[in-house]
Amino acid sequence: MLMKRRRSIEACHKMPTQKNSTTVKNRLFQALLVFFIFVLFAFVFSALAHIVWKGLAGMAQSIASKEIQFAIRLSLFTSFTSTLICVFFAIPVAYGLERFNFPGRRLVSVILDIPLSLPPLVCGVALLLLLGTTSFGQSLAEHGLRFIFSVNGIILAQFFIITPYMVRVLKSTIADINPRLEFVARTLGCSQWQAFYKITLPLAKNGIIAGLVISWARAIGEFGCTLMVAGATRMVTETLPVALYLNMSIGNLEMAMASATCLIIISLISLFVFEIVGGKQSPASRMS
Amino acid sequence: MIRLCNVSKSLGDFRLKNINLSIEDNEYFVILGPTGTGKTVILEVIAGMYKPDQGEVWLNDRNVTTQYPESRHIGFVYQDYMLFPHLNVQENILFALKLKNTPTIIMKQKLERMTTLLNIGQLLQRYPATLSGGEQQRVAIARALVAEPEVLLLDEPLSALDPRSKEVFQQELKNIHEQIKTTTIHITHDFNEALVLADRMGITRNGEIVQVGSPEEVFQKPQSQFVAEFVGMDNIFSGDLSNEGDVKYVHIGSVRLRVVSNLAGKVRVAIRSEDIIIAEDKLSSSAQNIIPARIIEIIPRGPFFKVVLDADIPLVALVTRQAIDKMKLEPGKNVWAFFKTTAVHVF
Repeated sequence: MLMKRRRSIEACHKMPTQKNSTTVKNRLFQALLVFFIFVLFAFVFSALAHIVWKGLAGMAQSIASKEIQFAIRLSLFTSFTSTLICVFFAIPVAYGLERFNFPGRRLVSVILDIPLSLPPLVCGVALLLLLGTTSFGQSLAEHGLRFIFSVNGIILAQFFIITPYMVRVLKSTIADINPRLEFVARTLGCSQWQAFYKITLPLAKNGIIAGLVISWARAIGEFGCTLMVAGATRMVTETLPVALYLNMSIGNLEMAMASATCLIIISLISLFVFEIVGGKQSPASRMS
Repeated sequence: MIRLCNVSKSLGDFRLKNINLSIEDNEYFVILGPTGTGKTVILEVIAGMYKPDQGEVWLNDRNVTTQYPESRHIGFVYQDYMLFPHLNVQENILFALKLKNTPTIIMKQKLERMTTLLNIGQLLQRYPATLSGGEQQRVAIARALVAEPEVLLLDEPLSALDPRSKEVFQQELKNIHEQIKTTTIHITHDFNEALVLADRMGITRNGEIVQVGSPEEVFQKPQSQFVAEFVGMDNIFSGDLSNEGDVKYVHIGSVRLRVVSNLAGKVRVAIRSEDIIIAEDKLSSSAQNIIPARIIEIIPRGPFFKVVLDADIPLVALVTRQAIDKMKLEPGKNVWAFFKTTAVHVF
């Protein structure tokens, strides 16, 4: 007992020096973290703030221009349309892939994920070749569905790029909802459709909204795939990113920055909404 | 009536092997087994969540093996309740009735019946996330019963409750079953629950049902070492319960045991062999039941010894080798058997 106490007193005496050295180490580590965070933050922030600052200055003038107005309208129209079509496909696809076990499910899942990791330019070339050079594409065109170098092409390109994202978000949302909830609903008399519609769909609401927002933001910023399929024709297939590209290439910096500012504002809003809605999954619906 | 004929089901590493089971109308059947022996899968096969790989499931003379869950008329209550989190209590309970477009008046009557039966009238407007485990359990049972299922399946309904609520709710389950008489299968790993609730019970082990019978049969005549060790009940008797003042006694022949119970009349009592203490003298202790006995035989059982006593009723106590050596226990010796009031399970 006495020995123990003496030892602890000794330890107390030793403490200050030891404490100092660990404190210094910890402080150093913390300072290092702060440094890295600061460098990255300063880099990203200054790049964005600079362009927004410059862009906002000439914004009023640019927005008055027919070209930017056209680009904003076309971007809104195409992105809303493609996002709607996307969610219409993504919900059943995500649900089917998550809840039903069929042969080849993994393979289908992986193939649907490929566009996520491909450069959009490659997706664009693939679509262009499918629709422009095959008899499938030609017969579609003969029936009035022309995609190449048209507004339809923009929508198709955006759809192709954003749907894998949407399917991913929805798959993880649905995976978080315990399938036993649906099963209990089935024992209470629901058909498969009713169990989906009355239980899983309302519980997936937040995930669907989050998916919509993030897909829409991607759609509005889509460039590479759109460029390949629909081309970059002034006042015809000129979405905001295309306007940015065209104006940049002829040295009209002001217009370019105005388009960029619009895109930055849109992505800020969507990120914000995503953060709010995405973090609000009801815990009771999660798999335990 | 529920009948499982040669049902087998593989699910990942788990296998349900050749289950044969027949459960009578209005019966309260308990499936008892250690955790991870596939008890839940049996229920899910009956309810139609999984199709069996082999065998048939019959409900009241309908072969439902290939039927969808929605056409089986089954009430299912999961261990973690599975209340619909986006619906309030009332909407949860009325879910099945609304699906069938039941007239409002009838819905109201049935809702009232359920809320009285389960005592949840004050919860109707609340959402599941705001309810305690016990409350969620009641709502889940109400939701299952309101559809008037032919069969009620309860998956470890008491295991998530604290010991106090568990005891209360156990009694309530018994009362509810006496009122509505729906054929019920109840799954548990707790032999006390089985003892109190079961008309008959089945013991599972590694995806098989190894013994079926009344609690008395299973506890008294375990057909395998596994069952014997799992249920661990050597002492089961029938007797009459009577009050003497505030104190309750069960009379078994000439022996009178002090008990705690709110039953009356003909009852069964069970005492675990490890709860019985053997002493050479009539010591004073907190144990309320002290009866004289004579040692009949001493049988080794694993690391312990089973001491069979004659106390007008046959008692079995479980003791260690050291105790036997120290007290020089041997057949023919007169001793005293001690056990606490709470060690006597009345059912």
